[in-house]
Amino acid sequence: MNTLATSTASANTDSRFVPARLRRTVLEMAYAGSTVHIGCAFSIIELVSVLYRNHLRYPGNDPRADGRDYLVLSKGHGVMAQYACMHELGWLNDSHIKNYFADGSELKGLSDSRISGLEVTSGSLGHGFSVGVGIAMGLQRKGGEQKVYAIVGDGELNEGPIWEGALVAAHHRMDNLMLIVDKNGFQAMGTTDEVLALGDLSAKFNSFGFETLEVDGHDESSVDAAIRQLWDTGAGKPKALIARTVKGKGVPFMESDNRWHYTRLNAQTFAEAVDALGLSGAAK
Amino acid sequence: MRDAFSNTLVRLALADPKVLLLTGDHGYALFDEFRKRCPNQYINAGIAEQNMVGMAAGLARVGFRPFVYGLAAFIPIRTVEQIKLDIAHDALPVVLLGDGAGFVYSHLGTSHQSTEDIACTRAIPGLQVLSPADRFEMTACMEYAFATNGPVYLRMGKSDRGDVHANPIDPLQPGRLLKVRAGRADRPCLIASGSMVRTALDIAQEQDLFVWSAPVLKPLAVDDVCAAVRESTGLVTLEEHSVLGGLGAAIAEITSEHEPTRMLRIGVPDRFSEHCGTHAYLLHEHRLDTDSVQKRIKSFSDVLASAVRTAIPL
Repeated sequence: MNTLATSTASANTDSRFVPARLRRTVLEMAYAGSTVHIGCAFSIIELVSVLYRNHLRYPGNDPRADGRDYLVLSKGHGVMAQYACMHELGWLNDSHIKNYFADGSELKGLSDSRISGLEVTSGSLGHGFSVGVGIAMGLQRKGGEQKVYAIVGDGELNEGPIWEGALVAAHHRMDNLMLIVDKNGFQAMGTTDEVLALGDLSAKFNSFGFETLEVDGHDESSVDAAIRQLWDTGAGKPKALIARTVKGKGVPFMESDNRWHYTRLNAQTFAEAVDALGLSGAAK
Repeated sequence: MRDAFSNTLVRLALADPKVLLLTGDHGYALFDEFRKRCPNQYINAGIAEQNMVGMAAGLARVGFRPFVYGLAAFIPIRTVEQIKLDIAHDALPVVLLGDGAGFVYSHLGTSHQSTEDIACTRAIPGLQVLSPADRFEMTACMEYAFATNGPVYLRMGKSDRGDVHANPIDPLQPGRLLKVRAGRADRPCLIASGSMVRTALDIAQEQDLFVWSAPVLKPLAVDDVCAAVRESTGLVTLEEHSVLGGLGAAIAEITSEHEPTRMLRIGVPDRFSEHCGTHAYLLHEHRLDTDSVQKRIKSFSDVLASAVRTAIPL
């Protein structure tokens, strides 16, 4: 197992996608829509922040550009994190945030491919990764440099098609595909160890033929460096980034408390959660 | 019929390099020609149908035209959710090929038999459903499926029952019934699909009945169904599929709203096969053999002729 121990140089020159601000957007949406799945979004905030800031290419800032990279959110439950980034990109406006879950509104509680910027309809787990494998296969056949990132929950790894897709990705040498596991250690009804133990994920993906790295999923510099290292090594192999994360990360009373898979915000918890983000006036 | 399938697929693939054939490790011999002529467009996705259907969605998303092949017991049945969510939801141009539908795998038992695939696929929004009866309909269905440029399920059933059309047929139109045989208007007419069109034709020749083939099961043209009703005293539907949710149900949905008539739905009763045997044996077990069907149609005709609305013997 390769573990990236130290942070390397940050490419943090883009003032967008500041994690605390993304979390603030998630909280605003969750409060406006009285939604669940806050913890699921918070665990992947730094992952999507780094991906959108440093890696995903959208020619012309067009979410449907032919030459784009693909971010497949297979764990559709984290979609508010992606909405927050799409808001920063100008693909969603303030009205989308304020009217989340309003009758007749567009944005749903799980990833829906009909929304420009979202690539798959997921949340029924074990779907998005296979679609991502197909996209990667298609891009591979076309040639070129486009890449596919698929964020998969660790609970989602219970689903069989993930492992079918992993076999196919390695067999077809899809080195344009990166599987990112949001290893927050929880699934709907308990910890992953309690429900269905996953064992050593790095060893598993290595044995499937992936180039694998494990990283602190909340350390932006480490995440960024690990992504670069994975693309630079293991030619002919699909990539797996095992991101150790904390469900509910960023708001202490939500962290590693699985109730925030299900709990809705009230005026008080919303205010407390926003305070906990510690945003300065400028960042707000 | 299988040659017509293979030939059409090869022709489409040679004409358009975006055509890809994905198979779940099935199609021994059937794809010899394809593999020889279009080796780079052939993908054996392994015995992993759920991932294969998801992958097909991904390939379609970046511009490819996948044909996804499996046994009907797996494509579509094992993968109904992937078809619904990954393909149909976004109207992606993927053609799903379900082979061996009905009782083709008569000796292998329930795992390889499929009598619920039409019912399951019909209910998926935007998914068209095709069921060719002979080689001419197979060619037309394949061309129609490709030209549709959207999600299609093409059901491939018992393929060695002979032609029902004398010549190649015109390009299919959405939902249109094909007249296979004209008959007497003072008797019930037969609407059949797939392998049962041949059975319908054999019986109709004896009793001088109209026969319509329905190679496109979804959508179905309301006008054509109503016209068939008006040219007959009642309708008989025939299919190697459950009586629940298939052709008979689809026709009944239309007639009950637009042109009420008496109907006899001939298909697989709501049960699994009990025994092992030849395809003909299983048809007999489910009372779909020609003799059984002929008797049921005759008694239905008699009931209609008597003009007394008594219960129709089942």
